[in-house]
Amino acid sequence: MTRSQKAPDVRPTAHGPAPAPRPTAPAAQGPAPDARPQRPSGFAQYKTLLGKDLRQEFRTKEMLVSMGIYAVLVIVVYGVALSFARPGEEFLEVSGGLLWALVVFTSLLGLGRSFATEKENGCIEGLLLAPLDRGVVFLAKATSNLVFLLVVEVIAVPLFWFFFSGFAHPGAAAPLMVAPLVVGSVGIAGVGTLLSTITANTRGKDVMLALLFVPVIFPLLYACVSATTAALVGGDALADVFGMSLALAAGYDVIMILASWVLYDFVVS
Amino acid sequence: MTKKTTKLPETGQWPDRVAPAVLVAGALLTTAGFLMAFLVVPPVGGATVGGAELIGGSLIANKLLISQKIFFFHMPVAMVSFCALAFAAYYCVWFLVTREQRFDTCAKIAMEISLLFVVMTMITGEMWTRFEWGVWWTWEPRLTTYLVLMLIVIAYLVLRNMIDEPERRATFSAVIGIIAFVDVPICLMVTRLIPSSIHPVVVREGGMSPEMGLCVGVIMAGMLCVGFALYRLRFRQVRLEQRVEAAKELLED
Repeated sequence: MTRSQKAPDVRPTAHGPAPAPRPTAPAAQGPAPDARPQRPSGFAQYKTLLGKDLRQEFRTKEMLVSMGIYAVLVIVVYGVALSFARPGEEFLEVSGGLLWALVVFTSLLGLGRSFATEKENGCIEGLLLAPLDRGVVFLAKATSNLVFLLVVEVIAVPLFWFFFSGFAHPGAAAPLMVAPLVVGSVGIAGVGTLLSTITANTRGKDVMLALLFVPVIFPLLYACVSATTAALVGGDALADVFGMSLALAAGYDVIMILASWVLYDFVVS
Repeated sequence: MTKKTTKLPETGQWPDRVAPAVLVAGALLTTAGFLMAFLVVPPVGGATVGGAELIGGSLIANKLLISQKIFFFHMPVAMVSFCALAFAAYYCVWFLVTREQRFDTCAKIAMEISLLFVVMTMITGEMWTRFEWGVWWTWEPRLTTYLVLMLIVIAYLVLRNMIDEPERRATFSAVIGIIAFVDVPICLMVTRLIPSSIHPVVVREGGMSPEMGLCVGVIMAGMLCVGFALYRLRFRQVRLEQRVEAAKELLED
């Protein structure tokens, strides 16, 4: 079932659209002489790796289903926890935080799985034997994690409001909360990929991932919660806090993803 | 594996001989600072309460803060913890560059020392929070970032226990050590970024009188000495242990 795991040379056949950007023919494999025409460009490698992750996921749907169900379960737990809360505008001030708690827990689940499959099938060795830049491996893995996370959010966030619309109606500016969700997911996927690679090799993987992930992600989480809450509440808070928090979150993303990208070289070896 | 047979981990450089003396000096300086904080530096007028208010069961208009003395320990200890973290991050980078076991040991011990000082900062901070603000904890930006810092340091030390292979352990923990250091500037700058914060910016904006500055300086020097000496002593211990292990292996061959 996991046939098309790695191996860049699978790509031209399996990945139908857009065969153009790869400059070299399949001849890049064999024991070519020293004057080998050209290695596939970084971008082509990136696309291959990403395509392989996405294809694997959309065939097995292992991760998306488990993350989605987990998100629904978290919402159910919220339902129980809030069953004695009074409906009202105050709910909006809490809902941003609740939403982010949902995102963090769900992403923890997904990140923990993302390298487990690679290890179980022994794909990681193949991936590392291929002459790839480690940075490309990181970017591809982070992007696939980001895609899964965004797909789950697209399902879970409306579901959250579906269940809790009885409490309060978000302000008119609520659609703006897409921005912090995207920025936050980018950061979570970036740092989370590095951390999950590290913890995949330790004892007690999932516990270790949570131990490292939550404190490291904290500044991002804080900024995203404040931006989301500002978008939900609207009014003065929106003008004061939203832009600043979003800028902080984006700054954190840039720093952390750069750091993870550089350090990734040392982590996979 | 192979290089172990060629040479033993070296120990006993000159700082080891200085360390006990530095420890004594640090203890003396800290004690001097302690006495100074209570005997020399005049008490600081607390928040001038508008009118009279009921604080701690008595009506007070302007409170002379005895608990402000905590500041003289709180801030130096916090600075030393940042310092130790900076050293840890430096050794982490250096380990990734050179791949020498020595720097991994350095980073680990610097992290242990910084955990010690982080915990001391937390304890003094909690005393302050309890007696000044009446609560044990408040989710103020600097408290929160510092708590997160403590959690990362703990996570670093837990991670070390979770990996058996020395090479891999060293690499992974070095990466985490560098990532952890990102929180230090955030924690330092947060009082400047978010002005509503309760921690005053004392150094640049002249919030301290000269005596206070001197007192903080003395205690900070003392704490730095203590931190350095502890680091060195612990380093010697761990290093000797590694040396013994290596020697045993050598004998077996």
